[in-house]
Order: sequence, then structure tokens, then C-alpha cells
Amino acid sequence: MMEEKKDNGAATPQTPPKKHNRVAQYFIDLGSRIKGWFVDKYTAVKDFFYGFTKAGREEKKALAAEGPQLSRGERFRRGLKAQSGWIFVAPALILMAVFTFYPIFAAFFNSFKQGYSGMTGKFNGWGFDNFIRVLKGDTGTGGANFVQCLVNTLLLTFISVPLSTLLALLISVALNSIKKVQKAYQTILFLPYLTNALAMGAVFATFFKIIGTASNTETVGIVNIILGWFGISPIDWVGLQSPHWQIGSLSIPWAKYIVAIVYEVWSGLPFKILILFSAMQSINKQYYDAAQVDGASRWTILWKITAPMIMPQISYLLVTGIMGGMKQYSAIVGLFGETMGMDYDMGTMVGYLYNYIELGQTGYAFAGSLMLFVIIMIITWINNRVTKKRTTYR
Amino acid sequence: MKITIQHLTKIFPSRTKGGKAVHAVEDMNIEIPSGKLVGLLGPSGCGKSTTLFMLSGLESPSSGKILFDDQDVTTLAAEKRGVGLVFQNYALYPHMTVEQNIRFPLDNMRIKKEEGNARALDAARLVQIEDLMARKPSELSGGQQQRVAIARALVKMPNVLLLDEPLSNLDARLRLQTREEIKRIQRTTGITTVFVTHDQEEAMSICDIMVVMKLGVMQQIGAPQDIYDDPNNLFVANFLGTPPINIFKGRIEGGRVYIGGEAVAETHYGDREVYVGIRPEGFIYNEDGALTLNVDHIEVMGRDKSVVSTHESSTKPTVRCIIDSDVALPQDAATLRFNIKPYKLFLFDAETEERLR
Repeated sequence: MMEEKKDNGAATPQTPPKKHNRVAQYFIDLGSRIKGWFVDKYTAVKDFFYGFTKAGREEKKALAAEGPQLSRGERFRRGLKAQSGWIFVAPALILMAVFTFYPIFAAFFNSFKQGYSGMTGKFNGWGFDNFIRVLKGDTGTGGANFVQCLVNTLLLTFISVPLSTLLALLISVALNSIKKVQKAYQTILFLPYLTNALAMGAVFATFFKIIGTASNTETVGIVNIILGWFGISPIDWVGLQSPHWQIGSLSIPWAKYIVAIVYEVWSGLPFKILILFSAMQSINKQYYDAAQVDGASRWTILWKITAPMIMPQISYLLVTGIMGGMKQYSAIVGLFGETMGMDYDMGTMVGYLYNYIELGQTGYAFAGSLMLFVIIMIITWINNRVTKKRTTYR
Repeated sequence: MKITIQHLTKIFPSRTKGGKAVHAVEDMNIEIPSGKLVGLLGPSGCGKSTTLFMLSGLESPSSGKILFDDQDVTTLAAEKRGVGLVFQNYALYPHMTVEQNIRFPLDNMRIKKEEGNARALDAARLVQIEDLMARKPSELSGGQQQRVAIARALVKMPNVLLLDEPLSNLDARLRLQTREEIKRIQRTTGITTVFVTHDQEEAMSICDIMVVMKLGVMQQIGAPQDIYDDPNNLFVANFLGTPPINIFKGRIEGGRVYIGGEAVAETHYGDREVYVGIRPEGFIYNEDGALTLNVDHIEVMGRDKSVVSTHESSTKPTVRCIIDSDVALPQDAATLRFNIKPYKLFLFDAETEERLR
């Protein structure tokens, strides 16, 4: 149906079609496809209402006079049967319309309203003011900084997700090679998955904490005690004196990053191990026998056989992991408190949105959420392109 | 490479507590001369695949020795034995192309790229798949996959080539073609080859040496024709030959072999109960023949015909005799009489089922 529309659209202009570059052509095709979709729906709706007009009613009557008339009940029954799909999807559709589609559209429109007040619904006019202020960090409220939050989110995500996937792969291989008490290990490894993120965050923070001054070694957390064995003086990992690098107005609180990454990797492991381990167990043992006879080392077997064989699962974990990483919030709050570090220097994108909703500056939150949406979409698209190339589905 | 198997035994411990351990292979002794094509033949569960995997090094024997030439390889790891193994389901890596699959063993041996490419191409040519090098295994037919698997096993120039049920996943026509192909490849390369099969026809048609196994115990080893003509026991006689051998319950009395009340042959053995095995082609039609059979029907095959009949002493529901199509048989006879070719008749002890020669 859509192909047809596209053809018609291309056939109408009499001048030979202009050559566009690939990107332009892509958007032109996309545009004509979207237009085709709307035209399609419009025609359907028009046909439906045509039945109620005078001309429509007469046409129906003429048609009915020609052929044998079905009873009213039969017609109703048939009509219902033909449309029964709609009845089944209706509950989900209604819920999604109210809680998903409406908010998306509302956020989209509201983000362009300047000086929007969430209380009164009043605004000064349309424009890109919200976006500009968000990007410049010129919100005038002392809230989180967008660029800082974006950099934090991207760095944390693109370090912790690949790292935890790689670790999960190695642990799964190890788990797969042990025979005894495999089930017990499996259970232990899965436990963090069942634990609350805020609770885990608080415990992690305690591990890294310094109570009192940095020179008072009596009251440091376990990480600093261990570092002390190697002669490293205590580092204020999560507190106010936490070390950081300054790049322009951007702050890179590397010590807090390490804490967050360790936490993210650790809490992400169980689910990843579960997925990868079960994928590994479904690999036919003959491939390993063949590899053994062919003299493959353990390393070769892991990278040339195991990893490619479970590539669908690995790419699934990367895609969902990155999407989840872009939306991380509760763990950071658990680790660094409600202000997400010192003055939101560990703020994340979602944290940013929440911060401005709290401050009553919903316009910035809308603009931020729209940009987050676009960024996630782009990353997911790239991700899909990359992983699809390397995946052979069995 | 000469392969010597001495007192080879494989015992799998029981899965359940207190259950019986499974003796997959028991006290096997074989000597395989270099450059021969050897078939391990037997019904399912007779330990033939286990024997093959012990030769490859993937299974370790419970006791006994395996020698390649004079080197004891019993405890040597699979990758150091220099064997090429073709799996029943081929075990081709689905994410690699045909070329990458064939190159895989070479890459593990750290062979240089140019040499590796040349050798991979040679191996592919040998099995005639050089046009398919860029494809993935899923884009190949069963027969082509089989060839890729053989090429992968051959590319490292193994001392011994092992094939596990190489033809069982192919359709009937391809099976005939591939078994000739295997014979051809083995002849060209001269590699000592051991393959496993449960199909006696397959084994008999291409083997130089055949090893018949039953429940982990080797029954007989020799050239296919020799085993067919001179089986060691009732099992071997029964397992080889299509149509299968006819078995009668009989007895020896005063130097004569009796089936029912009729004496069919002479023997030097003393009086005892025996099984009499007669190959289908061992019957000669004769009006005054020694053995009387109740004819059920006659199947005409063109080249020959087979008389399907019954006999009260037969251990099988029917007795099948194959005779030349130019031998005239009386029409609609209820019974026919046959003489027996003495070298097509085997006597087996009724208790031990061992051959009385």
C-alpha cells in the first residue's frame, strides 16, 4: 500500500525527478511515506463518514437493493467480527494514549512555550528560548547544568555498559566451565539483581566514605582501608572534598565517576550474566569439540566461537544497557544524595529533568527531555546499525 | 599412519546413584595398516562413535592404549594428535564463511596468510567446493556442508582422518555419491581414514577393512568380502547382507545337518543343537532338492527373482531365496525344493552362537 503511494507520488510531476544526495533522498522518501500513511488514513475516515451523508446513504440503499439483504443482526455481527482486533487492543491503546502519547506530544509542544508556568498554563509566546537557555546553562535558578549532566550520563554509560558486558561475558565463560556447585554460584551472582538500587547505593557510599577529615584514617570506609595497605592516602570518594578535573566550566569528578562506574558495573552484572550464561548453555557442544580437535586455544574459542555465537544476546544487552544508562537516576541519588554530588556535578539527564520539575521550571524540563529523546534515538540507531552487521542469527 | 588399539576400554559411570556403569567399549584390539579406509560398523549404541572419539582424543579411555605408528597417544590432547575429525552434524561455525571455516585449523597453527590461503584452496578443490568459499554454511546444501567439513578436517594434513556417521544426514541419492567421493578423497590423499556407520551396505561398499561391533565388543575385523563369506558368529552373519541371511533352527546328528526332518549338509561336528544360516543366494532350485520350502510368493526383480517362502524351523517370518531369472520355476507350486551351496551355509552353536567352521 505504501509502495503504491510512493510510486504515485513520484509519477505525478512531469519533469524528470531531480537527483538528490543520499541523505536528502532518504528524508524525501520518508516524507512521502509519512504523507502516504496520512492520506491512507484520511481516505479511510472519509469513506467511513461518507456512509452517513445523504449521497452515501442512497448509494448504500442502491447496493442493498441489488444483492440479497442481510439481516440487521447479521450485519452487526459481521461488522463487529471484522473490527474485533480494535476491541482487543483498545485497553492498551487507551492507556498508552493517556500516559504515553499525550505526554510525548505535550512535552514536544510545551518545550517551545517560552516562560511556561506549570501552575497557570500561561506562557509568553513560542520559540527556542528554552533550548537555548538549557544548552547555555542560563536557567537562572541554580539548578543542574545540562551539558554537565549530558557529559556525565554519556561518560558513565559508555564506560560502564561495555565494561560490565565484557565482565559478564568472562564470568559466564568461567561459570560455564565449572561443573560442581554451578547452581550455587549462579544464585549468588544473581542476588544483586533482587536488591533495591537505593539501598545498594547507600551501602556503596559507605564503602567509599570518609567521615571527618581525610587525614583521620580511623574513620575511613573499606576501600580507603584497602588502599592504605598499599600506602595510598585516603581519597574522599563521595564527599565534598572529592577530587575532580576542571575543563572550562565543565567538571569531571573522576573519583565519583569511579564509584559510580564500579556500582553500575556491579549492579548490571547479574542480569547480563543470566542472559549470556543461558545463551552459552544453548550452544551445541560439538562446536567446542571441533575447535578442540582443530587446536584452538581457550582465547580463540572465546572470541572466535563463543562470542559470535551469542552475538544476538550481546547486542541486546548493549542496546538495552545503553538505553538504561541514558536514563540512570536512582543509583546516582543513592550514591551521592539528592543533590547528585556537589551542586549536581554528578547529575544525570533524568536527574536534570527531575530537578527542573521540582523547581517549577517545567519549560526547561520539557526542552531537556526532548533533547534526551533525540539523543537516545540517535544512539540506538547507531547501535543497531553496528551490531546488526556483526550478528549471525542461528 | 598405522593405528594400533590395545585392550581399549571405555566405561561411563552411571548417571544415577547405584545404577550400572555403561561399558561402551570393552577390551578392543585392532591393528589398522597405514593408508587404509576402515569402517566401524555396528547397530546404535555399540560403542563405535565412542571408539572414534577416543581415537580423536576428545574422550579418554578408561584403560588400554592407542598407538599412532609407534607413538603412544593415549594421553595426548586432541589438538596434538594431528587428527582431522568430521562430525555427524558437521559442526561448521555458522558465523564464518566457508573459507574461514576451512582456514580455522590453520589459523590456530599460526600458518602464514598466503600459505594458509593456498592450502585452504587446495583442500576446497579436493572436495570440489572452491566456488562456494564466500558463502555461509546456512547457504549450503547438506552435501556441500559435508564437503566443507571434510575440507576443514583435511586442510591441516592430518595423520588420521576420522568421520562420524558421515552419510547419515544426507538423502539416499547424495549418500551414494558422497560415499564414492569419500573413497576417492581417501585414495587421493592416502590418509589413514576411520569412519563410523550403522549401514552395512555403506561400510561394505567402500571399506578396505571393516570392524563389526556389538555392545562395545568387537566381533570381527577383516576385508568386507571375507567377513561376509566367513562370519565369526550369528550376529555378524545376521548384520551383513541385504536381503539378510536366513536362519533356521537345526541339529547335527551323525555328521549330518538337519533342518526339520531334512538333511541339508554334512559336517564333521558331533551331535548338537545348531543355528543354520543360509545366504539368500545359497539356494539352487532342484526338483529333488534337500530342503523343502512352502512358497508364499515370488518377486521378480528383472536381474533375478526372489522366492519368498516359509519354513517351520526358520527363526524369521519368511525365508528369502534369490535365484537367477533364467532358472525356470514351476508355476503356482505350493512347495519348492532346493539344494544348498555348501559355502553359503554356516553353522552356529545354538548356545554360544559362535560359528562352527
